[in-house]
Amino acid sequence: MAVSISNSKERITRLFNGEPIDRTPCFSGMGNVTTEGLKSFGYKFASTHLDAKQMADVAASTYKLFGFECAVVPFDLCVEAEALGCQINVYAHSEDILYPTIKEKVIHNEDEMDITIPSDLLERGRIKLVQEAIRLLKDDIGDEVPIGTYVLGPFTLAGQIMELNDLLKLSFKKPDKVGALLDKLADVIIDIARAYEETGVDYITVREMGATSDVLSPRVFKNLILPYLKKIFDQLKGNTVLHICGKTNDIAPFMMESGAKAISVDQKNDVAETRKKLGADALIFGNYDPYNVLVTGDEEKVRSTIRECIENGVSAVWPGCDIWPTVPPENMKAMMDEINRR
Amino acid sequence: MLTEEKKKEILERLKNGVIQYDEDAVKEAAQEAVELGMDANEAIFDGLVSGMEEVGRLFEEQEYFVPELLMCADALYAGLDILKPHVKKMDLGVKGSVVIGTVEGDVHDIGKNIVKMMFDVAGFEVYDLGRDVPLDKFVEEQLKTDSELVCLSAMMTTTMVGMQKVIEKLRAKNPNVKIMIGGAPVSKEIAEKWGADGYAPDANNALKEAINMISALKKMREEAESNKTQS
Repeated sequence: MAVSISNSKERITRLFNGEPIDRTPCFSGMGNVTTEGLKSFGYKFASTHLDAKQMADVAASTYKLFGFECAVVPFDLCVEAEALGCQINVYAHSEDILYPTIKEKVIHNEDEMDITIPSDLLERGRIKLVQEAIRLLKDDIGDEVPIGTYVLGPFTLAGQIMELNDLLKLSFKKPDKVGALLDKLADVIIDIARAYEETGVDYITVREMGATSDVLSPRVFKNLILPYLKKIFDQLKGNTVLHICGKTNDIAPFMMESGAKAISVDQKNDVAETRKKLGADALIFGNYDPYNVLVTGDEEKVRSTIRECIENGVSAVWPGCDIWPTVPPENMKAMMDEINRR
Repeated sequence: MLTEEKKKEILERLKNGVIQYDEDAVKEAAQEAVELGMDANEAIFDGLVSGMEEVGRLFEEQEYFVPELLMCADALYAGLDILKPHVKKMDLGVKGSVVIGTVEGDVHDIGKNIVKMMFDVAGFEVYDLGRDVPLDKFVEEQLKTDSELVCLSAMMTTTMVGMQKVIEKLRAKNPNVKIMIGGAPVSKEIAEKWGADGYAPDANNALKEAINMISALKKMREEAESNKTQS
C-alpha cells in the first residue's frame, strides 16, 4: 500500500523510526557541497569553513538546486581536533578545492598521550560556528529536509591529534595506552555531539574511517575500537549513523552492535551480503562511489549504480564519502530523477 | 668464518626478524653479517627483502594489517641502516633516482613511506618531499634532480585530483619521466586517463608493486653475478 509522505524531512524521520515510507531516500551524513552551490553565492570553498552564514548557505544549496534530501555541516574533518588545540590549514591561497588539514598536532610522542581535555571545550575552535550554521539551516529549510552534522570517531580523531603512524603501531604494541586516549576522546565526542543535538540537528554521523579493515584487523576493531563507539552511541539520544569506509563486510555486525541506529558503508562493501547478515530491519546506508560514479561517470552510470544500490538492499541511497564538489549538475539531477521514479 | 651454513643462518634470522617485526633480532643478525664480511647486497635482498615478501603475502591474506606492516618496516630499516654502508654499487643500467611525496591537501603518508622503503632497499636515490606537498614542488624537484621516476600519493578522493595537474605539468617539462600514482582512490582508469605509467590503489598493492620491482632487480643482480663468475 502506498504511504503518503509530504517531504524529505518526514520521509527520513520515518526511516530512522523504522516506519513504512514511499520510496528509498537519497541523502548523506557527510559533506555534500557542490561547486554549483558555491558559484550561486560567489563563495570560495576555503572561506565557507570559517563563516556560519556561508556554511549554511552552501549546505542548503544542494537541496535547493538538486532536491538532495538533507543539509549537512560542517565540510571538513578538523572541528574536534581544532577544539583540542590543533592548528588547521584551510588553504586560503589555493584556487583549487582543498579540504582543511591539521597543521600542528597536540600529541608529538607517546609520552604526551595523557592529554587534559580543555574545560571550555565547547567554546573553542569552530564548535559554536557549526552550531550557528545548524540554527540558520533549521530556520531556512528545517521543515523540509533533515539537518545533519557529523563528528569523528575516537580512533579517527586520535589520528588527527597525533601521528597516525605512531597511533597504529601503539594500537598493537600498547593497546591499553591507546584505549585510555580513546576513552577520553569518546567523552570529547559525546560532549560535542550532545551540544549539536541540543542545537536541534536531526541526525549525527560518527565517522570512524580510520578503523576500516583496510587498516586494522576486525579483531582489533572489536577489542579496541568498538567499546568506545558503544560508549558514544549509548550517550546520544537522537538519530545516529556510524560511517566506516573501505573493507567493512567483516566488521558490519560490530558496527551494528555499536548501538548506532544506522550504519553507513562505501562501495567496497558487498551490501547484498551485509543485508543478509544483518537482517531485513537493519538500517544500512550506502554505497555509491561519490567520485568514480557521481563525478566522472555519465548519467547512465549514475542511474545504473543507484538502481544497483537499491537492488542490493540499502535502506537509503547515500555516498561512500563526502560528495566531491565538482560533481556535474546533470549527474546530481540524474541521481535524484532516478530516485523519484521509484 | 663465514661458512655456507652460517650464511644461511644469518639470512634466515634477517628474514624472520622482519616477519616477526623484531628490530633487535634484525640488528643483531645484520651486525654479524657485517662482522663476518658477508655480501651486504645478499643480506639485504635474500634476508630483509625475502622477509618483506613474506610480509606482503601475510598482508594480502589479512593475517597482517597496517600496524604489523609498519612494525615490519621498522625492523627492515633497522637492518638496512647497518648493511647499507657496506653495499657495493650495483650497475643496473638505470640511474635510480626518484622524487616521492603526498600531494597538497593530504597529510597521509603511510602508503608513500612503504613505497619509499622499497626504493631505499633497491639503492635508489630517494628525494622524499614528505606530505602536503604543493603541486609545483614535484615539478621543481624533478627538474633539479633529473630523476627518472616521480611517485605521487593521495589517500583521499578529495586530494587525488591534484595529481592530474602534477602529471600534466611534469609531462610538459619532461615527456620521458615515469610517473607512478598511488593511494586508496586511485584506479587503473584514472591512471590511464591522466597518463600515469603505474598505479597502486592501496598499501597492499603499493607493496606488491614495489616488491615486483625489487624482485626484478634481484633477478638482474643474480644474472650479473652469474655472468661475473662465468667470465
